[in-house]
Amino acid sequence: MTTNTPAVDVQTPPTAPPRENYLNCSKGFKSWALTLDHKRIGLMYLIGVSIAFLSGGMFALLVRLHLWEPEGMLFTNIEYNQIFTLHGAFMVFLFVIPAIPGSLGNIVMPLMVGAKDVALPKLNLLSFYLWLIGAVLAVLAIVLGGFDTGWTFYAPYSLYTDRAVVTIGMAIFILGFSSIFTGLNFIVTVHKLRAPGITWFRMPLFVWAIYATAILQVLATPVLGITVLLVAFERLYNIGIFDPRLGGDPVLFEHFFWFYSHPAVYIMVLPAFGIISELVSVHSRKPLFGYKLIAFSSIAIAIISFLVWGHHMFTSGQSTYALFAFSFLTFFVAIPTAIKEFSWVATVWKGSVALNSPMLYTLAFLIIFAIGGLTGVILGALNVDLHLHDTYFVVAHFHYVMMGSIALAFFAGLHHWWPKMFGVMYNEFQAKIACALIFVGFNATFLPQFVMGSRGMPRRYATYVPEYAPYHQASTIGAMILGTGVAMMVIYLIASLLIRKKAKENQWGGVTLDWIAPTPPPHLNFDHEPKVVHEVYDYSTLDYDSMQRDCN
Amino acid sequence: MSDHTHGDGHAQGELDMGHTHVSSPAMFMTVLLALLFLTFITVAVAQFDFGSANMLIAMGIASVKASLVIAFFMHLKWDTAVNKLMFLSSFLFLSLLFIFTLADQFTRRLDHELHTTNSEPVDGAWVQPAKSDGPH
Amino acid sequence: MSHDDHHAVVIPAPGPEFVPHTVAHHFSTPVQEFQAGKLGFWLFLATEILLFGGLFAAYFYFHELFPETFRVGGEQLDWRLGALNTSVLLLSSWTMAMGVRSAQTSQKSKTMIYLFLTVLGAAGFMVIKFIEYKAKNEHGLICFGHLFDGYDMASGQVSWFKDYDGVMAGVPHGHMFFSIYLTMTAIHGLHVIIGAIAIIYVMRGTAMGRYHAGYYLPVDLVGLYWHLVDLIWIFLFPLLYLVP
Repeated sequence: MTTNTPAVDVQTPPTAPPRENYLNCSKGFKSWALTLDHKRIGLMYLIGVSIAFLSGGMFALLVRLHLWEPEGMLFTNIEYNQIFTLHGAFMVFLFVIPAIPGSLGNIVMPLMVGAKDVALPKLNLLSFYLWLIGAVLAVLAIVLGGFDTGWTFYAPYSLYTDRAVVTIGMAIFILGFSSIFTGLNFIVTVHKLRAPGITWFRMPLFVWAIYATAILQVLATPVLGITVLLVAFERLYNIGIFDPRLGGDPVLFEHFFWFYSHPAVYIMVLPAFGIISELVSVHSRKPLFGYKLIAFSSIAIAIISFLVWGHHMFTSGQSTYALFAFSFLTFFVAIPTAIKEFSWVATVWKGSVALNSPMLYTLAFLIIFAIGGLTGVILGALNVDLHLHDTYFVVAHFHYVMMGSIALAFFAGLHHWWPKMFGVMYNEFQAKIACALIFVGFNATFLPQFVMGSRGMPRRYATYVPEYAPYHQASTIGAMILGTGVAMMVIYLIASLLIRKKAKENQWGGVTLDWIAPTPPPHLNFDHEPKVVHEVYDYSTLDYDSMQRDCN
Repeated sequence: MSDHTHGDGHAQGELDMGHTHVSSPAMFMTVLLALLFLTFITVAVAQFDFGSANMLIAMGIASVKASLVIAFFMHLKWDTAVNKLMFLSSFLFLSLLFIFTLADQFTRRLDHELHTTNSEPVDGAWVQPAKSDGPH
Repeated sequence: MSHDDHHAVVIPAPGPEFVPHTVAHHFSTPVQEFQAGKLGFWLFLATEILLFGGLFAAYFYFHELFPETFRVGGEQLDWRLGALNTSVLLLSSWTMAMGVRSAQTSQKSKTMIYLFLTVLGAAGFMVIKFIEYKAKNEHGLICFGHLFDGYDMASGQVSWFKDYDGVMAGVPHGHMFFSIYLTMTAIHGLHVIIGAIAIIYVMRGTAMGRYHAGYYLPVDLVGLYWHLVDLIWIFLFPLLYLVP
């Protein structure tokens, strides 16, 4: 899958001034604030979600510091409740859900399908501004008294607490619509704007993953919208449907909430899968093993994810029959997920593996995700979960998936497409050190949490009995290492923009259209309309010249 | 692009707008009369008590009305396959929300019976009070 | 459909009272633009279905839990007003469909008339809704003046539910039916108002001659939205007024 004569697409006469690209084609605040260019919107998303991630990370470090001592080091219990809620809400709603589709998806997906832009550019900009309004409201909610409900906003506590639940509820409602519009836009783009020759099975797997994610965003998020709206109504005028004092049922809240929030787990993780699928292929210089299996498993995961939400509610008072059904169905998620994991490993197998920083992050993902996924199967078993529910085992499990897998895949993708986005390379040596720090720090943080969770340490407690102190302290040390690694990454990435060491035209030797487009891409992405005649990931078509030549 | 192949013979006017379909006013009028008639039927059958079938009958008639609106007023009958799939799949996923949420609610009574016939309650399971008074 | 030339594709106006339409730069053909808009809007309508779906799920959930409350509550609503409102909405859906048809066939003044009639239908619907709400207010079933007063610990009741006539005295949680009635009809009513504003917006475009056989996408999309508003009411009417 490349153009017939790729070299022609990117050739510039040697005497020409620096070629125009999307970064330098227009200047000034308005040219960014009102841009309809998917790449600029993606960059604004990238800055936004990165700030959200770093704030969420600061809250996490505060939580870990507090738990250094059994009685807690820093906060009162009420303050602690707010800090861990802020960590969860920022990470989930402002970072993990929008991060990959909003930033990398926005920048890379239209390139991969050979489009000039997303199908609905104005909606794309609106979706970014909705994200921004949601973020501002979330910060406003902190000013207005914070919120201490946990990121799940479970009724009835969220109905009774005197904190700013309505404000954060509105923030989530608006963030939800930002997510819906992004997904809607991507579905239309994939359907209507593919370049000639890009059939469904010539689409890179990142596009498949973004497409499956988009289906979830469109179909699941409205239910979250109505749920937070009902919580707001409940607080404003006591409609009573979640309030047990008034005949309502808090379990109904949990049904509504998890109808969204379980698929949301896959809204978060499917784009990460997509990045990993791209990267294992490019950096092993091998076509993906089981392309169609991976593509269909994304769709299968998207659909199965709607059938299993009740496994978050094993101890909340559902009928026993519903418990059986949800536990049984949960195991089915493991099948498509395992298909992916095995296909990635089989792709790396006997490949020409380049151990550069994106690939190191990818390999770290493969290890961490195996642990995160398998502990999920353990938790899906009804009888085991009754013991492990709301312990640190659950915390460790979902951090292995959300932080260890999704954030690492995001970092991997960021390192992979950084030279594409900016035309500059970061310091590879520093990148490898940071990756090692993040990998070691991450495991040091969360492995002890599996142990203490299985021994009964409940989540969300501000204090604990001294027996758990060694685990908590190991976890806190790990978190500091992890924090150091992330800080280092932020520094060398920003430094690369200042040093401006030129990247290669095709830094890693990719053959999908995102690497065929000039680096960095021009405003309309391609100098000529791309026509694809090859199968996807066909490395025999690789233009080695573009790997040697500096980008424009 | 890839969807060009869908542009079949429904186009009207000078420009081929893909799946454009201009319906006749007579058809719209027929649909309107059918909808008004079905509204009358909805009210009429509500005067009789069919027991537990009441809900099924009312929702059945409403579904027929909704189908008329979707197929003819919204032109989905003449729309592309992908638009049909996207819109109608929302009802599929909505039915998942209904089925699982209501299955929980509807089986809680069975749950209650299950637990009261056992000499010991199952750990971790919550017993729903009898249906008539609900949780107070 | 080449990307090479960045010349805009222009759809000519079918007559002097119309203006040509320029296809957006990232689309190659008018068909592509039209179909992208349609697909996007159908997806948006799918999200609306699921948004209301949550409310319907809540309705069925509590209908099962408190059947008597819903039965007696439904009797307090005037089904004649409900049926009238259903007919008004169905009629306005018909005028909307005819309005879209007139735009498709480049009949400018007819489009204006049909769209205006649709807005009139929306206004009529809201007036009847207001009359209904007013009656509920008078009987203390929904006291709008006390809507935000909160929960009264002493009586164990919400402040907006006074039930002056004691009609709901014999059933558990009498306010439950009315809170669901109010929430569903209010959110639906909000959609009616948004729909009316959208129709007025496309009336403006119609008056300027923007929509004709070559380009009528906005009229079409607003029409779809309006039919969705109708679609939801078709289910609300029997569930609230004739509680099965």
